[in-house]
Amino acid sequence: MSGIEAVRKIVETEAQAKRIVEEAESRAQEILASASEQARNVRQTSTAEAEQRKVQRLRETREKAEADARSSDVETDSLLENYKKLFENRKDVAAKKAVELILGG
Amino acid sequence: MAESLEKLHKRILSDAKLKAAGIVEQAEDKSKQILGEAQAQAQKDADDILSRASLEAESTRRSILSSRIRANRLRILDEKNKIVQSVLRTVEKSLSDIASSDQFESTLKRFVAEAVEAVGTDNAVVKIGFRNADKKSLQSLGQSLPKGTKLIAEETAVDDLGGVVASDPEGKMIFNNSFRARLERLDNELLTTISLAIFGE
Repeated sequence: MSGIEAVRKIVETEAQAKRIVEEAESRAQEILASASEQARNVRQTSTAEAEQRKVQRLRETREKAEADARSSDVETDSLLENYKKLFENRKDVAAKKAVELILGG
Repeated sequence: MAESLEKLHKRILSDAKLKAAGIVEQAEDKSKQILGEAQAQAQKDADDILSRASLEAESTRRSILSSRIRANRLRILDEKNKIVQSVLRTVEKSLSDIASSDQFESTLKRFVAEAVEAVGTDNAVVKIGFRNADKKSLQSLGQSLPKGTKLIAEETAVDDLGGVVASDPEGKMIFNNSFRARLERLDNELLTTISLAIFGE
């Protein structure tokens, strides 16, 4: 093998080695880009799920509170109905006592 | 020479492959780190969202309940007030009609005595006015009054509902013993009496 041929062979080998490293660097960039994309997806998915759970939790809480509030309405309606009955049954006694207070006070 | 050149060729490629493997391995390690950090951050973000959701839910729950409970308390107070006012109207009607009851004479004497005593003078002026009261019967009361007391029987009911107003001759000292004035003076006791009689509380 002549000297020139030997140099050419070395140059070709170096070029091949450079391509191997460049391909690895390209592959590394792809890996990192893919990782970044996956990371973004993980966070987006997690956030979206959490937001859905938040909406659901708020809806359930509102429904429960509205149900409790309706119980309060029913309780109040019953109380008011009872007041009307008490009024009908006791209004004369109440007025008599009040008149006695004013006359005798 | 050809042999050593071949060794050099292999060594250059071997070094390059080693370096390439290192680059990829480093990238994979970094990739794992990125994913791990992303998962941790995602968990933290989700926890924050749910934590805020819990606070918001509790706030919403309290707001709904307190708003409704407040509204219902107002309904109860309003109904109680209507009932008490209704009883008060009956009371006012009874008081304004007292002249036709058998309690009239004793009540009138007591009201006049209280008023005269409150004014604290020997020559008090006493005005009396009740709805549907017989003026003669009012004037006959004058006989039971302390000497020096001047009795004036009004044609109309004092303060709408009727009653007695005593004063000194100059009108500087006045004691209003009308039903209206007594209703106002006994306001708190009156409400308590009615409330107790109707609601038991």
